[in-house]
Amino acid sequence: MERIVQGMSIDEVLRILRSADGYYITNTARDLSQSDFKNRILLHTDLLAAKPREAAGFFSLEITGGASVHVDILRKQVDPFLKLELLREKMPHTMFQTLCRGVNLFGYRPYPQNVIRLTVREFAKYVDVWRVFDFMNHIPNMQAVFEEVQRAGKILEPSICFSTGPEHTDEFYVQKVGEILDVTGENILLCIKNHGGLGTPKRIGELVDAIKQRYPELVIHYHGHNTDGNDIGRITAAVLNGATIVDASDHAFTGYYGPPPILTVIQTLNEYDKKAVGVDEEAIIETSEVLRHEREHYEYFESQFKGFSPTVQIHKLPGGAMGSSFEQAVKGDFLDRMPEILHDELPKAQVELGNWWSVTPGSQILWTTAVSNVLDDDRYGNPSGDLKNLLLGKYGPFPFYQPEDWIYEKVFGPEWKDILAKDGGIDEIEDIDVEKERKNLAERLGYEPTEQQLVTYLQHPNDAVNFFEFEDKFGKVYVLPPSILIRRGGFKLGETLTFRDHYGKEHIIEVGPEQKSDNGDTNVYLNVDHHQRVFVFQAEAQQAGAAQAVQLSKEEIEELAQVGDVRAPFAANVCEVSVDDGQEVDVGDQLLILEAMKMQTPVNSQVAGKVVKISTKIGQAVKPGDKLVKVEAG
Amino acid sequence: MDRKKILVANRGEIAIRIIRAIQELGHTAVAVYETPDNDALHIRIADEAVWLGDGPRADYLNIDKMIKAAKKARVDAIHPGYGFLAENPGFAKACEDAGIIFIGPSAEVIQSLGDKVTARRIMEGAGIPMVPGTQNLSPGEAGIEEAKEFADKYGYPVMLKATAGGGGRGIRRVENEEQLIRDIPMARSEAGAAFTNDNVYLEKVVLNPKHVEVQIIADTSGNTVHLGTRDCSIQRRNQKLVEIAPARIQDQGLLDRICAAAVKASQAAQYTNAGTVEFLVDKDMNFYFMEINTRVQVEHTVTEMVTGIDIVRTQLKLALGKELAFKQEDVQIRGHAIEMRINAEDPQNNFMPEAGKTVTVYRSPGGYGVRLDGFVYQGYTIPDSYDSLLVKLTVHGFSWNETVDRLRRCLKNFVITGPKTTIPFYLNIVNDDDFQAGDFNTSYLETHPYLIDYEQICTEGNKLARLIAEIHHKHENPYAV
Repeated sequence: MERIVQGMSIDEVLRILRSADGYYITNTARDLSQSDFKNRILLHTDLLAAKPREAAGFFSLEITGGASVHVDILRKQVDPFLKLELLREKMPHTMFQTLCRGVNLFGYRPYPQNVIRLTVREFAKYVDVWRVFDFMNHIPNMQAVFEEVQRAGKILEPSICFSTGPEHTDEFYVQKVGEILDVTGENILLCIKNHGGLGTPKRIGELVDAIKQRYPELVIHYHGHNTDGNDIGRITAAVLNGATIVDASDHAFTGYYGPPPILTVIQTLNEYDKKAVGVDEEAIIETSEVLRHEREHYEYFESQFKGFSPTVQIHKLPGGAMGSSFEQAVKGDFLDRMPEILHDELPKAQVELGNWWSVTPGSQILWTTAVSNVLDDDRYGNPSGDLKNLLLGKYGPFPFYQPEDWIYEKVFGPEWKDILAKDGGIDEIEDIDVEKERKNLAERLGYEPTEQQLVTYLQHPNDAVNFFEFEDKFGKVYVLPPSILIRRGGFKLGETLTFRDHYGKEHIIEVGPEQKSDNGDTNVYLNVDHHQRVFVFQAEAQQAGAAQAVQLSKEEIEELAQVGDVRAPFAANVCEVSVDDGQEVDVGDQLLILEAMKMQTPVNSQVAGKVVKISTKIGQAVKPGDKLVKVEAG
Repeated sequence: MDRKKILVANRGEIAIRIIRAIQELGHTAVAVYETPDNDALHIRIADEAVWLGDGPRADYLNIDKMIKAAKKARVDAIHPGYGFLAENPGFAKACEDAGIIFIGPSAEVIQSLGDKVTARRIMEGAGIPMVPGTQNLSPGEAGIEEAKEFADKYGYPVMLKATAGGGGRGIRRVENEEQLIRDIPMARSEAGAAFTNDNVYLEKVVLNPKHVEVQIIADTSGNTVHLGTRDCSIQRRNQKLVEIAPARIQDQGLLDRICAAAVKASQAAQYTNAGTVEFLVDKDMNFYFMEINTRVQVEHTVTEMVTGIDIVRTQLKLALGKELAFKQEDVQIRGHAIEMRINAEDPQNNFMPEAGKTVTVYRSPGGYGVRLDGFVYQGYTIPDSYDSLLVKLTVHGFSWNETVDRLRRCLKNFVITGPKTTIPFYLNIVNDDDFQAGDFNTSYLETHPYLIDYEQICTEGNKLARLIAEIHHKHENPYAV
């Protein structure tokens, strides 16, 4: 029984897999987090689980990719590269796996060749296994990433996305596998990507068998979701028919839309004399013992609706989109329309639009279209830009059939044929000027970015800059456990929070009282490492209509002064008002004198005109931004 | 020695400095305070405290109230400190009239030296080199005419000075005639408010001089001794920020001549007790008398560090009738000392005072060769009525380099949060090559504008604490929704 460890050559890994007596397991922690916890499981938690997960002997740990790179910087405030670096330190032997959306990588738009190259090169320093997919199963969309992964010397795992329906035959999928192998050569793993958890065990078993019949040497990695509660059945069928690697995750965190529990997979397949190679069951149990105590902190991010959803076989939403769909329905107040959307409109639109694969970004297009079709009561009357692009073939050709003409006409109007002829087809994406982007980023940050920062920026420009600024301001916050970082409802008075910072220093923070001051500001008292600190929160802007307590910046005060609206530039006492109402003044004329800490400072007019309002008097104490004098330019 | 009662007519760090000396001599220290100083440290350290009034400032400046407080506490002597009433001859006179010893020179000496014009006359008589200047300007238009005439003769820029000013206050540099006409009335109004004397005069500007001063100490038996030089060239708008003893001038002969002139000047003025003779040294190493400050200086600490002589203790002993216990030849300058005034100011916002802010963390450096003269403590709210000095950091070292290294270490270890302070700005100075080489004059800050560039230092713990405060306040992490 041979464990596969990080650092082995691709040939060695493939040799072991091809001659395996049994099967291997990928722990899809990332997909679990994305499907059942809105992608919020923190690095802190993954670091807690790192030691037993390393001991568990997985083929790989899927820990990055998909939407997680974006959520890392947007919500979890962790650098996606630092995350991998820290996990790698604690898990030297386990291969890390990612999920990558072909030409979209980890973002939402197609990237040019040179960005793909840069991104793959940087992530390849940490990521050993690259699962790549395209929601149209259009192989050319993935080709650039295929090449870069192979160039980086990493294990390439192209996917065939799986769905159900009359067109989704074994012949079709076997042919797709052939198209992939034509491009990649045989030294790959092949993923059957069952992101919805569709089909029965029997169906999956047949598909694996059909592929294996045609390509006996091909290593198949089955990926599924447990949305209907039956993924263990599909996994079992896949392994019995020749799949070599399967996906599951830690039972302490398994939910309804993500992967099923690893231990149940092992126990079930044991009965069929199929052994999980290299796996230490004790370590798998220990992982969940560690994780169990963390789950309560993530409760808010679990699905509002508990229980499996066997109707996924009807609406086909991928596991990763289930939680967010219900969340949108609650927020958009259309929860009562959900049965109609999920069980009538979605399957109908799916068939009308070509019955391709409901996974990012296709699943979003289907979902948005179905929601607006139902809520607006005007089917295809409010098409999204993405739907238009889809119909124009920007994502690739339709795999089975093109939607009917009436949909085109509804979406594009009577000239739809001209539009399709003129704008149809995949756009050529030109390389961007990476050095220019690097300069832009340097300008926005005020320092030279690292290569990794540049890559993160190229995926999500504004969110990346916000994240880097966040880190400057708040430090590396991954060190905070979920009980602190995603705590809801604030902390208890006297609660003691302890943690070790990124640089290894222990900190103790004791929560003190919160107090409103006279001007409406709130003071939060914390005892930070035995030193009291006060954090002042300015009063929230008043309700609309009420007078707003606006805090002006130095620049704003200066700008106002340049147009004659003279404000106090600092806290001071007015010791002289040198002008009268109605007086004509010139540029440079003294308007008043302010005094702060024994220093008199004259305030001069920056415009020529007439004094129309004096809002202060001698002796008055003024705060920065307070109105002093108004001069109307003459 | 019988136990005396001594009132300290001041506040802040200097009040504490004086109270310490009083208590070390076994006397009783009486503090005074205005209402905004209710929580001030000098009241707590003193043996007794008398409330003067609500202030702010007006009561510390009120001679009658001060004398009343002194009588109420039945004190034998008053130490005025610096600022407030320290150089007000009326106050010294009022003390004499009330039969209370004024710790400082006589009212007449303060009067004549405090009037910068009279002082110039005395010094000219004694043959001390002088910067050309005017008499007190006449009131109104006539004064402006006199000023214009002087400026035309010597050329701009000129210095416009309050006759009763000192310590950098009441001084402005005037670049042209237009500004001269505008600034004279303003200078008068400021001087009137600050010193109850609105006389002003003009002086020629010595361009980019070094500011060198000599500490003098004299008893009533005619012994006048100098305690060496100080270099106070690093100033911002004539406010000293960094002071060094001895002056960083390689030519020992020049320093000796300056000290000799200082002794001569104070003898000519019949000076007693502690005082400071200030000179300007131009780039050709000519020196000019500027003024005599008739009080203990903020920067007296650096002289104490290099001479080992406690100036305030000596002041008290002399005022209580003792003779100087040491002669000129007993005074040895050992090593170097640097003082930095740590102010609650934001250097990056034109040194705006950070009044009204509460000191949330105060962690001071210590160790060999380190001295702190301060009055703030953790939890102290800086009143907006007084100046922004928080604490004076003085370090002493055997060599100049050792002293600079020690200063850098202390600044790095100094933690004050709440108000912004001048510490990060001082760190830039300490790391500057010209400063390290001793190459600086009064134009130092203008010619080294980059010293103002520094990042606000925030430790990782404090950064994380800030996020925790946000999560606590907003009831959820606003960045994780």
